Amino acid sequence: MSDVYLDSSALGYRLRARRLMVVVGLVFAVFIGRLAQLQVLDGGDMSQASQANFIRPEALPADRGNIFDRQARPLAQNRAAYDLYVTPSQVKDLPALLDGLEEVLELDSLDLERLREKIQEPRGIARYQPIRVRRDIDRGHVARAQSLRAQIDGLSIKVEQQRMYPEARIGAHLIGYMGRMRPEEVESVGVSVRPNAMTGRFGLESRFDGLLAGRDGYEKYVVNARGAKAADQRALAAVDEVVHEPAVPGNDLVLTIDAEVQRILVSALSRYESGSIVLVDPRDGSILGMVSKPDFDPNQWSGRLPPEVYQEVVENPFKPMIDKSVHSFFPGSVYKVVTALAALEEGLIEPETEVDSPGTYDFGNRIFHCHKLSGHGKVSLTAALAASADVYFYKLGERLGIDTPATYAQRFGFGRISGLDINGESPGLVPTRQWHEEHTSNGYQFGLALSTAIGQGDVRTTPVQMALAYAALANGGTLYAPRIVSRVQSPDGKTVAAYGPQIVGRLGADPVHLAAIVEGLERAVSDTEIGTGLLAGIPGARVAGKTGTAQVRDIERLRFTDKVKDFRERDHAWFAGFAPVESPRLVVVVFLEHGGTGGKEAAPVARQVMQAYNERIEPIFNTQAANRHVPRRRLERGAP
Amino acid sequence: MNRAMAGVARLDWSLIVLVLLLGAVGVLNLQSTSMSSGSNIHMKQFYWLIVGAFAMIATAVVDYRHLDRLSPFLYGGAVVLLALVLGIGKEINGSRRWFDFGPVSVQPSELSKLAVIAMLASWFNRVPRPAGYTLRDLMPVAGILAMPMFLILQEPDLGHTLMLMFIGFSMLAYEKFDRRSSVTLLTAAVIATPLMWRFVLRDYQKDRILTLLDGEVDRLGAGWHALQARVAVGSGGIFGKGHGLGTQVAGGFLPENHTDFVFANLAEEHGLIGAGSVLLVYLLLVVGALRVASHARDKFGGHVAVGVAALIFWQVFMNIGMVLNLLPVTGVTLPLMSYGGSSVLTVMVAIGLLVNINVRRTVF
Repeated sequence: MSDVYLDSSALGYRLRARRLMVVVGLVFAVFIGRLAQLQVLDGGDMSQASQANFIRPEALPADRGNIFDRQARPLAQNRAAYDLYVTPSQVKDLPALLDGLEEVLELDSLDLERLREKIQEPRGIARYQPIRVRRDIDRGHVARAQSLRAQIDGLSIKVEQQRMYPEARIGAHLIGYMGRMRPEEVESVGVSVRPNAMTGRFGLESRFDGLLAGRDGYEKYVVNARGAKAADQRALAAVDEVVHEPAVPGNDLVLTIDAEVQRILVSALSRYESGSIVLVDPRDGSILGMVSKPDFDPNQWSGRLPPEVYQEVVENPFKPMIDKSVHSFFPGSVYKVVTALAALEEGLIEPETEVDSPGTYDFGNRIFHCHKLSGHGKVSLTAALAASADVYFYKLGERLGIDTPATYAQRFGFGRISGLDINGESPGLVPTRQWHEEHTSNGYQFGLALSTAIGQGDVRTTPVQMALAYAALANGGTLYAPRIVSRVQSPDGKTVAAYGPQIVGRLGADPVHLAAIVEGLERAVSDTEIGTGLLAGIPGARVAGKTGTAQVRDIERLRFTDKVKDFRERDHAWFAGFAPVESPRLVVVVFLEHGGTGGKEAAPVARQVMQAYNERIEPIFNTQAANRHVPRRRLERGAP
Repeated sequence: MNRAMAGVARLDWSLIVLVLLLGAVGVLNLQSTSMSSGSNIHMKQFYWLIVGAFAMIATAVVDYRHLDRLSPFLYGGAVVLLALVLGIGKEINGSRRWFDFGPVSVQPSELSKLAVIAMLASWFNRVPRPAGYTLRDLMPVAGILAMPMFLILQEPDLGHTLMLMFIGFSMLAYEKFDRRSSVTLLTAAVIATPLMWRFVLRDYQKDRILTLLDGEVDRLGAGWHALQARVAVGSGGIFGKGHGLGTQVAGGFLPENHTDFVFANLAEEHGLIGAGSVLLVYLLLVVGALRVASHARDKFGGHVAVGVAALIFWQVFMNIGMVLNLLPVTGVTLPLMSYGGSSVLTVMVAIGLLVNINVRRTVF
């Protein structure tokens, strides 16, 4: 049997046992301290971490409102898009999955390698999160993707809405497109739970995003570690907040635009590289049509934009992503109506006052030229407008100075944004003496008043401003805000808000003076001897209008192709007019950037538009002659 | 008869009460973790506790001094079983630790701890060195430890390997040491650590240690487990989420929640109050075992009691240290709380030994 150790060494054992107890006690003290640290000091953070584990918020995307034209034809709507996701944690056979995807998505080896990395990269709980590997699978591939999903673990297909523009390029600038939200935008909207949220990026999509977008809903649900929804009552009890907040769908916009008109405008511009046409109803300021060229396909920009398309647009010297209808340019002679009205209203001239208008005008040490070298002789106001006699207007400019016409320009709506407020709408520029003192290198020179009088100098206007200004001439002096949205309706079709015409100002001019100007404009189109806008004329119909040929001081000589160089040295061609004169229904503004001369290029485009409108949209001319079918040949450039 | 009555009168009930308390809390806690999986492991654990109680009584009744003679055979048997399990054991998660007997699996590494304790106690008893042990004296001790440690490491089971080493060192610490030998031993330990790292540890074991030092090393594997355990413990707060209301287990975020990480569930559901109380019970149990050692009537009994104290202490230390993210992740279970028949049986037998030694203690 063992020794009984009732000896002195037993004391040594007791001592060591006590030491061991102290060590054990210290270790347990540390553990209890650590327990308190985790549970009391870090308790809040850890509680959140624990909740983040199992309570997953999921956004319920709101249906975006549609955009309709005035005939309820869809211009922007939604369609189902099939997105393909891979959940790394569920992938059991990565090579087989990649093989399958290579075939279904038609990937090359580089794409495949990227995809492999994308799937292998996530660690920890991130592996339970589905990764979107392809947005909006081609229709033809959906069935194949579905069958692949049935065969291989880890794939899932989610249906999301994709914006679709049935008219594609027709009116792309006006309607706009959708883009993915930037992080700071996500922050401000507060839909941080939705990683792929889109927002309006251009045109009306951007301008009325608040009305169209609706409000995303969200749902909080309880998941287990695999990300599967769990209906476990114990876990559900931990979700004490609102669990389900339904999405509020966005409202529809009904526009004053007519899709058919848009098609007319696009085809009228087909022969030109760059420009814009704006059609306005002078009776209420409604925009009937508005296009800018070159255009782009908003369907591509809202979806998977092919890199080569992006590259092409970025490198296009005619700048497709600039909306030329709201961008400002030198107006040239279409601006002369401002000078004319100022002179009449200020009492400088009477409509019939005749002024000598030779080919040149010496002013100071500078010679101002008329576009017609031989000059026009003694002309009245109507003839001066009809023939676009520059010296006549130089002389008015000399007597008016620069600030007085500027106040009239402002009454026409120039120098400030029209209120359309899309695509970075430019206010244009109505230069004043003060403006020149501040911005011109030599300060204000009196000669500037002369150039301004004929729409040169530093005047800049947008096609939309010009259309609304001519609408004011046509309707007897009322300046309207551009009316583009006629109605906002809820998803079930009920009108939420209706927008009537909105008057922003009046010309406040003597009707006699306005009539004189309109007469001059009508002569410009109809007076076969002196009219500059004859090519806008329609037999049997009364059309009024003014041509403009803005000389472009294009200083930059970039290394462009000959075609582009040639383009850049040409003048801007304008035509602004309305019809029928007896009761105006349509204001047309044609702007051809570097398009040549107003009379030869812009005027026939305007005629084509008016005739097509009359034939295809609604008859605005009552006479037989105007409604007669016009042979195509006569619309060609250079026709008599 | 008279002696038996005297034995009952001298019985230290406090140890038995503490053990039964831990067993009951363990069963309730397992009942909570098994809710989401719908299993009935808490009932199995309960049955094991009953079996363990009988084993404890049986161990307590027979005079422990017989164990002194039997220890070489127990030790030899344990080594044979450890060798056998490497050959015919059931492989689970890449390691062979269990004999599979149909409904029951037996883990020889658990049982081997008792054999090693008995063997070492027996050796210290037979080779007394009142002046202190030298390193040369301790060569057999190293041999006794090395054999089963080597076999367990092959399974592989780092946790139990370390457990045997820690138990051995603890029993050494109860002895008097030659001063020069202790210096040499410390130096050797310092040199051995990097060598262990280089030649003994496997990659995943190294990862676990690295994870502790830097949580970013492996967020998917061991780091993930450790993080989720910390989240479970921390989110329990002071009072806990309530019994059966722990979301970390219910959602499947906390792995191994009925074995290695069982304490995390307790801490999540019962907070600082519950987890702290259980820690205190373990402390009382270990201190109680050491008290039994210091009152033992002979050297053998004293060393067995220290071995049992070490067995409980180091398992609690490694398991709760891991759950509290103070120590790397090793597969060491928590005595009486973690699910596992072999473990329950081992601990109950060990407590039976304590009771046995205490009943036959010296008078003072």
